[in-house]
Amino acid sequence: MKSNDQKKVAASMGNWIGLDRRGFLALLGGLPALSGTLSGSALAQGTPHKGGILRVSAPANPSSLDPATGGAGSDHVFLYTMFDTLVAYDYASLQPIPGLAESWSFPDPTTFVLNIRPGVLFHDGTQCDAAAVKFNLDRNRSGERSNIRPDLETVTDVTVSGPNQVTLKLSQPDTALPLILSDRAGMMCSPMAVQERGKDHDRNPVGAGPWKFVSWANAEKIVVTRNEQYWRPGRPYLDGVELSIITEINTGLRSVIAGQNDFIYFLSPQQKQVIDRAKGLTAVSGPTLYCVQLYLNWGRPPFNDVRVRQAMNYAVDREEFNKATMNGLSEPAVLTLPAAHWAHDKALDNAYPYDPDKARRLLAEAGYKDGIDINMIGYTDQRSQQRQEVLIEQYKKAGIRLHFTNGSLAEMSAAFLSERKGDGFLSAWTGRPDPSLTYQLLFGAGAYYNPSRVEAVPEIGPALRATRAAEDIESRKKAFAVLQRLVTDNALVVPLLFQFEMDAHNAKVKGYRPNLLGKPKFEDVYLEG
Amino acid sequence: MHGTLRMIGRRLSQIIPVILLATFVVFGLLQLVPGDIAVTLAGDNATDVRIAQIRQSYGLDRPFLVQYASWLWNAMHLDLSRSYLSNEPVLDQILHRFPTSLLIVGLALVVSLVVGIPLGILAATRPGSRLDTAVTSFASLGVALPNFWLAMILVATFALSYNWFPATGSVALGKDPSKALLHAALPALALAAGGVAEVVRQLRSALIEILSSQYVRTLRAKGLSSASILWKHGLKNVSVTLLTVIGLLVNRLLGATVVVEAVFAIPGMGSLIVNAAIHKDFPVVQGVVLAMVVIVICLNLLIDVLYTILDPRVGLK
Repeated sequence: MKSNDQKKVAASMGNWIGLDRRGFLALLGGLPALSGTLSGSALAQGTPHKGGILRVSAPANPSSLDPATGGAGSDHVFLYTMFDTLVAYDYASLQPIPGLAESWSFPDPTTFVLNIRPGVLFHDGTQCDAAAVKFNLDRNRSGERSNIRPDLETVTDVTVSGPNQVTLKLSQPDTALPLILSDRAGMMCSPMAVQERGKDHDRNPVGAGPWKFVSWANAEKIVVTRNEQYWRPGRPYLDGVELSIITEINTGLRSVIAGQNDFIYFLSPQQKQVIDRAKGLTAVSGPTLYCVQLYLNWGRPPFNDVRVRQAMNYAVDREEFNKATMNGLSEPAVLTLPAAHWAHDKALDNAYPYDPDKARRLLAEAGYKDGIDINMIGYTDQRSQQRQEVLIEQYKKAGIRLHFTNGSLAEMSAAFLSERKGDGFLSAWTGRPDPSLTYQLLFGAGAYYNPSRVEAVPEIGPALRATRAAEDIESRKKAFAVLQRLVTDNALVVPLLFQFEMDAHNAKVKGYRPNLLGKPKFEDVYLEG
Repeated sequence: MHGTLRMIGRRLSQIIPVILLATFVVFGLLQLVPGDIAVTLAGDNATDVRIAQIRQSYGLDRPFLVQYASWLWNAMHLDLSRSYLSNEPVLDQILHRFPTSLLIVGLALVVSLVVGIPLGILAATRPGSRLDTAVTSFASLGVALPNFWLAMILVATFALSYNWFPATGSVALGKDPSKALLHAALPALALAAGGVAEVVRQLRSALIEILSSQYVRTLRAKGLSSASILWKHGLKNVSVTLLTVIGLLVNRLLGATVVVEAVFAIPGMGSLIVNAAIHKDFPVVQGVVLAMVVIVICLNLLIDVLYTILDPRVGLK
């Protein structure tokens, strides 16, 4: 598969101008794992133009189309079509870039000022000004039906400090806010629509995004149409987007092969072969934040011993794991952030090379000369079981005997994270827009995803706070480097791989680029033919 | 006539206990499924407080029996309440989706009968012949093939390779009848394979039995032609068997939509209940179960009434 991609890359060498940043970096850095992006439409030629309706096969019905009241991670693809965020993100690195807010600053550590782009209108014609932003932020952080109150818990007050400026008072320094506002919390709804429609705004939303809501036939289809008053000149290209909800992913792919839909996302790597066989279909893939990993409970033996945790990291062959479970279509993971992410510290890339002998030595030092039995929690689905089989075999070579207890996702998550059963947990981390949230939720004291509920080492707390106190991106990178070093040296988790986003589209679709969040946006897409 | 009315009365009086039992058992089973809809509703980053709040606002913290009783009380007032997930009235969802499933089931039934009856007759009139062997083998194959597998083969061949039919989705019959039939064709064919087999086998054996009975021998001795024996006497007597087969078949086809609708991404009753059951959206599950139970009971009642018309002895019993 990879050599095939590389051939396509070679064939397209003459077309470098069309290369996106990530593709360019992949070529420069020779990152073979990223070459998947190049086979996609990043190299597509032609000029973007307006017109046409994109027909998308979507894998899940949204929980709600109101960003504040919904909850599923799969909602974003729908929400992005109708809602612009205050802060946007760079597709390749997830760095914050201006969105509905033109600029922002922290005049002092506990004050956050947002300058709102003037003249932006909601789909109902009302102004998206400072007052509207205040309404949204207040609703998101304290509204009774808001599911995203924790996102804005450091915000104590929001004031309109100018017609196009809002000032947020914070209880503690929080430089994660710009990226938090690139997620649900930053999606602006029309205050008039929210007030008039109440609960019905969930199913009949009004935003300021490139397309406006037309209809939602539950679990069947969502239709959006061009917002003629959209603030970005010349955008959007597409007249509309029709998202058909097809929960069976193989059926969804068949609908694209048969030409009933143009685009499908959230496919599995195994489906790459089907896409390659189908005529006129292009597979697009790229790394995402979704990290398959082993959670460890360091609150009690055996994982309260750092040597055992390190042994767990040395004893796993991530390359082989990627080949065996993902057809090689993923990025092997040592850190909790993928290589393309702005906060990823490259210095740690080789922290845990595959070394079963070293793992054995570490175990012997820790008093487990004859190897060790580990009780793991896992899921019953086929792909999880496959991962378990590969891991059991790999760990056996270092004298680590994994014993899995499996169940459904909901049941097993509760078993490990709430009821504190098992020593480790084969699951995944879906990522968060700001990496400080990821580290806080996984390693912070009292965090839900940290079953021990305590900090593994006392330095974690201050290091976590430092990432939210540093303001500019360079100093934040340094703060994250310290934190990542702590997490990696103490082996608090066994990251295995970053799942690739796998999408497919027909020849009509041009200009699509995957993003590191792994949730497709259609703002650059146009149709040809 | 009196007997028929008494039979209808007896059947109707069975409806309520059956509905109570079915909805209660389904409700109980849903409680056993792990997972919590409050967690789903609260979203990815939910705190325990938020989950508890949602549980309370939806009444999910009440005891099992209280939840069931409250649903039942509303249902008795023709209020099937709203879906937890979409907040849409359950009755609206059912009314919106039922025609889609009905079209597929109806079409599958028509195909089963149109193909099954002639084949059954052919096989029965020449028992032991090569044709009979071929037909019965075909019927056995139809029973043995899983309909989801057949559905995928049909899609791969007729939708993906030849592009004769759409691979997924559905169109309302009222909106565009020809398109609606085109969309329903492959799912109906996938469902009909089992139906054809059922009709052929039952019809063949019933007809063979009748054609070898003493009164048919008498008819033959009277000098009646084979054709008129078959059409006037044979088929009339297998009609009761056929009716039973149709009744069972419709019930089974309704159940099979659960799988076939998933393969074809058809927004019908089957996909509605599957999605609701996965997310523990119990008002929807209960609503669909209730609708299905009512449909099946009404169908059985209709079949029973038709029995009394075809065979007056039934009503007298």
